[in-house]
Amino acid sequence: MAVAMASAAERAVLEEEFKWLLQEEVHAVLKQLQDILKEASHRFALPASGAEAAAKQESFVLSTAGTDQVKGVLTLQGDALCQADVNLKMPRSNQLLHFAFREDKQWKLQQIQDARNHVNQAIYLLMKRDVNYHFKTGSEVLKLMDAVMLQLSRARNRLTTPATLTLPEIASSGLTRMFAPALPPDILVNFYINLNKLCLTIYQLHVLQPSTTKNFKPAGGSILHNPGAMFEFGNQRYEVSHVHKVECVVPWLNDALVFFTVSLQLCQQLKDKISVFSSYWNYKPY
Amino acid sequence: MNVPVQAVAVWGKIAPSHSITAIMITDDQQTIVTGSQEGQICLWDLSSELKISSKEILFGHTASVTCLAKAREFEKQPYVVSATENGEMCVWNVASGQCIENTKLPYRHTAIYYYHCSFRMTGEGWLLCCGEYQDVLIIDAKTLGVLHTLSSQSSDWINCMCIVHSARIQEDSLVAVSITGVLKVWELSSSLTSIQERQDVCEKESKSLDCLNCQAIRFCTYTERLLLVVSSICWQVYDYCDFSLLCTEFSKSGQCFAGGEVLAAYRLIIWTEDGYSYIYQLLNSGLSRSIYPADGKVLKETVYPHLLCFTGVKENKSFPFVMGFLNERKEPFYKILFSGEASGRITLWHVPDVPASMFDGSPKEIPIAAIWSLQDNFDKNLSMSEGIIDHLCASKYGIESAVVTSSVYIPSLDKLVCGCENGKIFITLGLKTARARLLENVSLKGNLSHKVLNGHSSRVTCLLYPHDNSVKFDPSWLLSGGQDSVVICWNIFTGEILHQFILQAGTVIELLRSPENFKFKDHSIVCCVCNDHSVAILHLQKRECLLHARKHLFPVKKIKFDPVENLLIVGCEDDSVYVWEIETGTLERHETGEIAKAILSSIEDSEYLVADALLPISQESKRNKNPEYKSSSSYKLGMVSYNLTHTEKSSDKIMDNSLIRQPFTVLPVKTKWNSANFHILLFDLEKLVELLLSSQLCGLKSSNSFHNLDTIERAKSTTEKRALTLRRNKTAGSISTVDGQVDAVCANQVSGDTNAVRSLEESGGIKRQKKMKSSRKIRMQSSGNIDVDIATDTAKLLLSCLLPWGVDEEIDNLCVRHLDILRLQCPVSFGLLSNESHISLMLPGWKCTDCGVLEEHTLSNLFSKRVFDLSNKYLAATEGQNETKEEPVNNAYGAKGSETVLFLFNRIALINRIINMPSADTSEIESSHRSESVHDKWRNMEAAMSSFSSFYGELSSKTSKHHSPDFRRVSLLKLICCWSDQSIKIIEAMQAVLLAEVQRTMKTLRKTAVYRQPLAIVENGNVSALKHDKSSNSANFQDVEDVPDRCVLEESESPDDMKAHPWISKVCSCKVC
Repeated sequence: MAVAMASAAERAVLEEEFKWLLQEEVHAVLKQLQDILKEASHRFALPASGAEAAAKQESFVLSTAGTDQVKGVLTLQGDALCQADVNLKMPRSNQLLHFAFREDKQWKLQQIQDARNHVNQAIYLLMKRDVNYHFKTGSEVLKLMDAVMLQLSRARNRLTTPATLTLPEIASSGLTRMFAPALPPDILVNFYINLNKLCLTIYQLHVLQPSTTKNFKPAGGSILHNPGAMFEFGNQRYEVSHVHKVECVVPWLNDALVFFTVSLQLCQQLKDKISVFSSYWNYKPY
Repeated sequence: MNVPVQAVAVWGKIAPSHSITAIMITDDQQTIVTGSQEGQICLWDLSSELKISSKEILFGHTASVTCLAKAREFEKQPYVVSATENGEMCVWNVASGQCIENTKLPYRHTAIYYYHCSFRMTGEGWLLCCGEYQDVLIIDAKTLGVLHTLSSQSSDWINCMCIVHSARIQEDSLVAVSITGVLKVWELSSSLTSIQERQDVCEKESKSLDCLNCQAIRFCTYTERLLLVVSSICWQVYDYCDFSLLCTEFSKSGQCFAGGEVLAAYRLIIWTEDGYSYIYQLLNSGLSRSIYPADGKVLKETVYPHLLCFTGVKENKSFPFVMGFLNERKEPFYKILFSGEASGRITLWHVPDVPASMFDGSPKEIPIAAIWSLQDNFDKNLSMSEGIIDHLCASKYGIESAVVTSSVYIPSLDKLVCGCENGKIFITLGLKTARARLLENVSLKGNLSHKVLNGHSSRVTCLLYPHDNSVKFDPSWLLSGGQDSVVICWNIFTGEILHQFILQAGTVIELLRSPENFKFKDHSIVCCVCNDHSVAILHLQKRECLLHARKHLFPVKKIKFDPVENLLIVGCEDDSVYVWEIETGTLERHETGEIAKAILSSIEDSEYLVADALLPISQESKRNKNPEYKSSSSYKLGMVSYNLTHTEKSSDKIMDNSLIRQPFTVLPVKTKWNSANFHILLFDLEKLVELLLSSQLCGLKSSNSFHNLDTIERAKSTTEKRALTLRRNKTAGSISTVDGQVDAVCANQVSGDTNAVRSLEESGGIKRQKKMKSSRKIRMQSSGNIDVDIATDTAKLLLSCLLPWGVDEEIDNLCVRHLDILRLQCPVSFGLLSNESHISLMLPGWKCTDCGVLEEHTLSNLFSKRVFDLSNKYLAATEGQNETKEEPVNNAYGAKGSETVLFLFNRIALINRIINMPSADTSEIESSHRSESVHDKWRNMEAAMSSFSSFYGELSSKTSKHHSPDFRRVSLLKLICCWSDQSIKIIEAMQAVLLAEVQRTMKTLRKTAVYRQPLAIVENGNVSALKHDKSSNSANFQDVEDVPDRCVLEESESPDDMKAHPWISKVCSCKVC
């Protein structure tokens, strides 16, 4: 209602304010966003950006609540797991099984790599609109914000939602070939990120005899499979007998997630500010 | 088999916004393809004089288009593949606008290249894709399934790539640069077999280049040595043999390079993100030594770039540009540099074959060859881009027509409600408005009854007619929401304001009715989403706002209701969830992450909303994917789920179903970025034919036989009739008179019926057939002349849209005089539905493109020049039947024009059907015809035969001539099948057939001889043939038991001339005939 009655003077003031928003406020927010995201990007320790001195290595001790069947130390270097040293106490025999990565191998954590790439894409988008850039319309800002938010929410989702894999996929992944001494055939391992935690799951399998009366039902994709899940791999049928899940908190992942959330909110607030004006007059998008 | 629906788009004055994010020119240089942020793809015609004109717009994607690429060898099939932000991929035929294949994969591609190695590869070739995932994906160009990946040692996202194909190296390779600047080379042709066998394919070479944000990589095919790498801050030239750096050129400050291409040997073109491009000549080391004599020891070869030419943009609007370059050396093709902007503007430059600098050595500017945008086309063809109610505003108020910003069509009342930019709401009758808009008749416009509702002070942003899908609401209620943050409840019949809800929460974005299973104290409620991310719940009976939930930080994505605890569950775009208690208005919970997901998924059956839905079509189709699932889950919730309204709702959401009920529908479409709306008129051909035939039957058959038929049908199903009475009540708009008891009974019946239908869905054809019959019965029963009038009017409207006006004055006059078909006001934009979620619509510029040069001011509705050719072929193919054919036509004229309308209509429906038949089927028909007696294929053949019998209904009625035209029929079938193979559009085919038929009638009209033959027989022949055709088309899916049943019905429909149709006994396996 007020819109229609807005006087010419009011209109002029509004337009002035919108101009200020586009020329001053938008850049201030973009600067803030860039700072936050650069901070987030530093957390991911991009090897190429730093001086050739390789990204620093961090070691984490794996722990489970309650039992101490699995113990281990993981070493993370940027987006790669460069060392893993795991001790597994076999449930029945209490035998100790030790396995570690081969010296020459490291395992890339795709989730971290993707999140890092998404953040860098967002930063790149923001950098292209530096202080000298002159925003002329609101929709231009909205579109930029949409693009940035898309990258940021993807980055966040990569960390919050691990891939759902089927057991044959885990069995055939390169991870099984990473260890020295080689993993026993009845053990499967999987690493993934869930929020701020680096998780390791170890599946102990037993072979299902072809003659068995148990009706075989292959399990679908899942982040974490339960004991009793069955699958077929290499003409052999297996059933998961034990599952061990251990995890460790990676502090900088937590930081990164917080940065993502904050910057998403900043983006949305900027969009809201722009759209307030859009309802005052039917501004032409171009 | 497709639903034979014809769509006609009625655009507005404002073109739909189209922010170009991807652009390409097809290999034949005749079509520009652009993809937009809004998700639509636009096809533009490029003439040999480099004139651009928009041709078609393709709907189907729900997210921003990220890349476009050709998907076949272009000379063979004009297919283009598009990929979007959310992983959708689609293969389009850019000649016809048809969607060939579509899929959704969890990958976001940023670049796609088509690769086909003709001699060692099976299938249609590969799409090599890169994007926001590790390494390179190989996707089958035909099925769009993932075939394999090209892997590498240090996997990372690939930024850009190119295929290196060189005669010298004798090996096709893929060169790619990763996001961290590592160049990787995969061998393609030598690893063909290992890819086909899904073995690991690792890169052959890997080298870290010192550049981040690599934008493009190109191989020079002229020297077969140089490799151009463009990054945002610099471009570099490498030697492909040893990957040594030859030269680097940095960008000016503030400019970002976006891509580049090799023009010729040692000549490059580089373009920037803001729309500039630069052409460089690479001078070899010899020259560079002479320039720098100090550099005495030339052990390392270097090259030195010299700027020859540049291109700039007019009025730099500083939007991101997407550019490309098409390098064609042979005549008559050009070297074209093209760019698309976020504003939707396309710019072309014609780059000379030998670019040269000015005489003084300074760079020369290459002028712009063409600039065009969608809006230009709309402005140029004003009459074609007139909005659906523009004539109302113009005639009554003499003011500048208001832009329609929201609209809703109410099928049960045939009312079209349009909300405008200036706050007015127009209520008109759908069909009449469409006629007035499209046809050239002033009286239609003047007499159009309409209401104007004044209440909003600014733009009307959304409309809702809650009664449409839910009888819980009063049929007189119409809700409108505006930019002024007011929701008004109107009485749609009187136009008075019942109540105003003043929300003070910014623009009202969406109005939604609550789901059927949710009731608040026995009343249904409406919820409304506002611009400030708040959700308000309105109680219409009590006229109060129950709850205004204002805490949401992000736009609302989903709204769900918990009927047990009276909770409102709001899902936001940041994946957080807010749970509100409706009664007290308190925020009960706010959750994020996993818990939020769990809460949202725990309540499946609810009305939900997609905040930025692009197109109701796609939205509808998304919803209708699993209607069964929906109802079953509501059952789970312990609600009385199978009430009438619920089944009504779920079936109504299915576009097809609602179409089956309505021969004519108006579908309002809202586009994403600008507020303008446009409308799509949908005509259901099959339904129209049914209706017309039934009306003919009513008129022509003796009442005796009609009753006969009626009683049989009555005996067969009483349930459907009850549903029918209910529906009839609805159409009369007097639901309040239906008392509760009847309601309840019918509810059970109808739900039972629809369930039965649903369960039959697997067996395909039956459902359809049943629907047809029931709907047909409805029409017959409701015996109102109104329905017949509507059907005839609709049919005539569609015919006037299809007829080739302006081709032959005589034909035009004939149509107007004898058929009572009105001339078109301007050519119309037809649409093509490829499947339930993909549609292409012609844009106001289509006319200039296909027909070549036509005089500006003559009205011409010719779809393309090809139509003449096709129509001649059609005449030739049907020549043999000429003498027999003429009779019924003549008769039709002798009797009434409307029979001819029906006659013509039958033909276009048939053409439609044949073309829509899967080509595999038709080939099978032909082969079976040859082998004659293969039992399995027997039915198929009969399907074809019977469809031809319907075609020559009059022919079959004459037993003496029955055997002769077999050969002709097949030749015609072949002709039409071959049309559909040649990607000739359905509308072209239909127009060609219409033209031919009208021409033929012309001839006969000139003759004075008038044969008299009982018309009823002819028409009846048509009926049964049509029926038969339909059922036997779907015969593949049907059980044998159904066949006798079907035949009984048919017998009852045309009992007296059964003997006259020997072919029927061939088709029917039962003993009855």
